[in-house]
Amino acid sequence: MFCQMLKGALMRQKGKLSMIAFTMALGVSLATAMLGVMMDVGDKVNQELKTYGANLSVVPRGTSFLSELYELEEEDGEDTAPNAANAQKAEKYLAEDELVKMKMIFWAFNIVDFAPFLETAAVVGGQPVTLVGTWFDKHLDLPTGESVDTGMKRLKSWWDVTGEWCRDDEDGAMLGQNLAAKLGLKAGDFFEAATPDGAGRKRLEVRAIVNSGGKEDDQAFVPLRLVQDMSNRPGLVQRVDVSALTTPENDLARRAAQDPNSLSRKEWDTWYCTAYISSIAYQIEEVVTGSRAKPVLQVAESEGAILRKTQLLMLLLTVLSLICSALAISNLVTASVMERSSEIGLLKAIGATGAAVALLILTEIVLTSMLGGTAGYFVGLGFAQIIGRTVFGSAIAVKGLVVPLVAILVLLVTLLGSLPAVRMLLSLRPTEVLHGR
Amino acid sequence: MTKRQMYMKMLLSSLLRRRSRMTVALLAIAIGATVLLGMMTITYDIPRQMGREFRSYGANMVFVASGKDAMLKLTDVEKAAALLPQESLLGVAPYRYEAVRSNMQPYTVAGTLFDQVKKTSPYWNVEGGWPSEENELLIGSDVAEFTRLAPGNTMTITGRDARQRRFNREMTISGVVRTGSVEDGFLFMRLDTMERLTGRSGEAEVVEVSIAANEAELSALAARIRERVPGITPRLVKRVTQSETSVLSKLQALVTLVTLVVLVLTMICVATTMMTVVMERRKEIGLKKAIGAENRSIVAEFLGEGLCLAILGGLLGVVFGWGFAQTISMNVFGRSITFNFALVPVTILTSVVVTAAACLIPVRRATDVEPALVLRGE
Repeated sequence: MFCQMLKGALMRQKGKLSMIAFTMALGVSLATAMLGVMMDVGDKVNQELKTYGANLSVVPRGTSFLSELYELEEEDGEDTAPNAANAQKAEKYLAEDELVKMKMIFWAFNIVDFAPFLETAAVVGGQPVTLVGTWFDKHLDLPTGESVDTGMKRLKSWWDVTGEWCRDDEDGAMLGQNLAAKLGLKAGDFFEAATPDGAGRKRLEVRAIVNSGGKEDDQAFVPLRLVQDMSNRPGLVQRVDVSALTTPENDLARRAAQDPNSLSRKEWDTWYCTAYISSIAYQIEEVVTGSRAKPVLQVAESEGAILRKTQLLMLLLTVLSLICSALAISNLVTASVMERSSEIGLLKAIGATGAAVALLILTEIVLTSMLGGTAGYFVGLGFAQIIGRTVFGSAIAVKGLVVPLVAILVLLVTLLGSLPAVRMLLSLRPTEVLHGR
Repeated sequence: MTKRQMYMKMLLSSLLRRRSRMTVALLAIAIGATVLLGMMTITYDIPRQMGREFRSYGANMVFVASGKDAMLKLTDVEKAAALLPQESLLGVAPYRYEAVRSNMQPYTVAGTLFDQVKKTSPYWNVEGGWPSEENELLIGSDVAEFTRLAPGNTMTITGRDARQRRFNREMTISGVVRTGSVEDGFLFMRLDTMERLTGRSGEAEVVEVSIAANEAELSALAARIRERVPGITPRLVKRVTQSETSVLSKLQALVTLVTLVVLVLTMICVATTMMTVVMERRKEIGLKKAIGAENRSIVAEFLGEGLCLAILGGLLGVVFGWGFAQTISMNVFGRSITFNFALVPVTILTSVVVTAAACLIPVRRATDVEPALVLRGE
């Protein structure tokens, strides 16, 4: 009997119930889209923040201080030569062929790009110039069989390059704009660079002029191999800039950054298996011999702050718009129950108990909302993809967690939304309603 | 009783007699308006708020001396800073570098204003304290590691002043700064300390400026400074400005799209609720028609009711929407939101249009049908 009444009610009021189903579908699609976007926004924004460049700098252990000292002595002007020679002698290096190991650590996939650097003093047309050897667009084959492309082209996406990016296998150079102006060179020109002692000498073609707005404007970038040959330091690099996707720091990460040995076994596991910048740095130090990985706080700290703000913003927007759509849906349910007061009055008049009527109405509404909710879920997936494609140019990965969350939400909203309606229909007096008051 | 009085009376009694229905309808409109105003306010204010957050990346403009001069004058810097919009200017930190020695080791020491550095470079991680006394020194973490000095220790520095005379000064280390870049290898002291030691004052090598502004505004400001203060060449820190522009525009697009989706869905929800409330009254429409009411007057009555509800709901929405936006802004950014008053009429107008459309559809459908059919319940 119950089923028959239910079926009858569902069939008879197709119009009204479809409106509930429709609203429910809208609400659910909103919830799905917002939850989907919210859960993925961290990864997406993190990816965007990579435009700020490297957040880790890997240097040889114990010598980072000396290399900067070397730079200073040059400016100082006093007794440059002996000190520079000393510094050069004392300098330690990282091995170029070990860098590939960075793509094989636990968080290998979080290491987006990296580029090594090796500097040498050189003379071009009688003027002192710093030649910086690096990878522009290097193709690496990993022992695991995978391959990666990395280098300056990806790492320095904010560079304004006039001309072509240099290739790693040619005798080319990219000049900073101030340097190019000083030397009077433009893209396509040739120049000759020599080390101060005259040992290494190369003829290079200017491939491009770079405007970076930083100290790079006074430097010349050439393929790493060239600098290694000229200064007779084969297979060595001075510094590696690494751009990695990281999780914002918390207390655990801060404690670990001070001293990883102070953690308990369990904390250590958690820390090691989370993409904190300190744990990525630690893992790089593990694989690259004699290296020290320092987080570049300007980038790392700000990234964390902005990520947290964005996630919080999306979370609050999601929660508030969910509350609003829940209110709107429950409002509609109330309205539709009110509309049927005469029918309910009649049911009560011919002897139905309040509980029986409430059960009938609730089942009807829950069934309808389930239907609408399912449809809405798929529409919501579509909305999330539209947002992802338009804003970030890549698909949003909707997490599986969204499904149970949305299902619970649908059930809760429908039941809670029906509460005022049910309370009202229980208090209905059949005679009054049928009389039309 | 004139026609107008009758109309007002019908309107009023209809609103008052059917209190529970009208509450439901009012609530729907108010929710819609709340979301509308709240989301629009947030979308409008996001670039400003987020822009402030992005200032944690540090200076986005630097001043260097024009031409061949190595040093720029602090009086010029003041002139230039006065040209910048004061409300969005976060900090102006001058740096002056000197070569000194300590224990036979050469170091670079930078003189600066620490209260400005805290604003322009919020990412500096200082263990111990910032220098506050005149003979206090902040040392980079690499220097600390190399020399094995800690906050509280003293460090004697020697150097030459402007007239090439040697100076020798014992300084107390107040703290160790860690940034992960070149600052780790420097020493820092107060600018006035450095001026007293070297006997030269009113100069700086570079000035870092942090302004909450986008790339276009920064370029305009730089052009103005270049024109009015010839001693200074302003340069944009491309890495910071360009990345900020790209990330910020993405974020704004995200919030705008989300707003759009939420708005469309909420407006449809409002409309369906209104339609349900009006559909319920088909019998009333039929009865009115049966006793001789014109379609036009019925539509006018329903529209009048809708209008009252829409304006009231819109006003409620303005109040709640402001609260909604303020809550989000306070929680996320810890700052009060700027309220754009132009959004108030927009919100009310939108509620009126949506409500009117939602009323008209079911009323039209009811008035088009023969009264007898409607009354019979078909």
